[in-house]
Amino acid sequence: MTTQHLGGPNDCPNPIEAAVLMDYWLAALPSAAEEGVEQHLMTCDGCGDRLREVIAIAEGLRALARSGSLQVVISDQFVKHAAETGLRVREYAPPRGESVQCTVAADDDLLVARLAVGLTTASRVDLSWCDPRGIEHQRMADIPIRAEAGSVICQQSITWAKASPTATMIARLVAIDDKGDERLLGEYTFHHTRTIPGPPGWGRP
Amino acid sequence: MNVGLSDADLGPRIAAGDREAEAEMCRRMGPRIRLYGLRHLRSPSAADDLVQQVLLKVLEALRSARLREPDKLFQFVLGTCRMTVLDLRRSSYRQEALLVMFGGDLVPDPPPIPRLDDRQLARCVQALKERERSVVVMTFYDEQTAAETARFLGISEANVRVIRHRAIQQLRACMGATL
Repeated sequence: MTTQHLGGPNDCPNPIEAAVLMDYWLAALPSAAEEGVEQHLMTCDGCGDRLREVIAIAEGLRALARSGSLQVVISDQFVKHAAETGLRVREYAPPRGESVQCTVAADDDLLVARLAVGLTTASRVDLSWCDPRGIEHQRMADIPIRAEAGSVICQQSITWAKASPTATMIARLVAIDDKGDERLLGEYTFHHTRTIPGPPGWGRP
Repeated sequence: MNVGLSDADLGPRIAAGDREAEAEMCRRMGPRIRLYGLRHLRSPSAADDLVQQVLLKVLEALRSARLREPDKLFQFVLGTCRMTVLDLRRSSYRQEALLVMFGGDLVPDPPPIPRLDDRQLARCVQALKERERSVVVMTFYDEQTAAETARFLGISEANVRVIRHRAIQQLRACMGATL
């Protein structure tokens, strides 16, 4: 990184790496490195343009993360924080091997499934989503787990759920061993009833 | 226009009363100050306020020839940014009256933050591996620190950064980013 070249031209002979710019934006750089980045940015419009691209990605990701439209495994802390910051969180926690009646309202922001499970003997865990016939529709492979957590928290896409017709989906947590063999850790059935007025986004399976 | 001038040329010309050099200094430094403001104040309007206040102070110093080393202009501007952000945090709008009088003339139109295709970004994020997606969502939802994410994943902070960097790299490629 240099701070020597003149301001003006939009190229840079020694550009700051995008990863460093992202860390800078996230306030994740040590102070000495941050100082270097700021000095560089104060003389370099090329890297300023690159930082604007990084900011665009960061802001896009922030909006996406807050939209609740992603299917993703999240932490308990994340769910609590979302609720504290005013998001309307709808949460279902069926016991292992049992089912739950569920729905989603038009003003819900996040939809969360809390799946109680023992993870102490598993190193890799997949979360499989099946229909009542047992046909797998989606597999979330090698989800992040913590052995001592005692549950997996999965955010389901709120956009998908709001468009969904009345239907039953089964979540299956499976441990995968080194040979690729599967062992069922838990199965959870969600009987979703559509309560939002208007037609669903697709037909009943 | 003084676009061919280096940053170091601007100070002496402004001290000599060159109004075009003043305009060029504002045009050049304004967007850089705004980026600093976005990073530290996290608000476009606060960043715009910072641009106005810093340019006022820098212009005042340059007009009265208080910048002794012209090639240190960027350091002077950066130092003024830091002091002004501290001031802003202490008391929000101490210079409001000055800004009402002169502020509108000082802020050049900043380069826009690029627009992303939100749907494409969602597709790109959904295509990440589960662990990477979790890290991305938890990092950017509320700028959670690597330490908090590391605690959830049961891995080191350094590993969280590696996963985040890898994910961002993939997202940039997926989005066709040019950086």
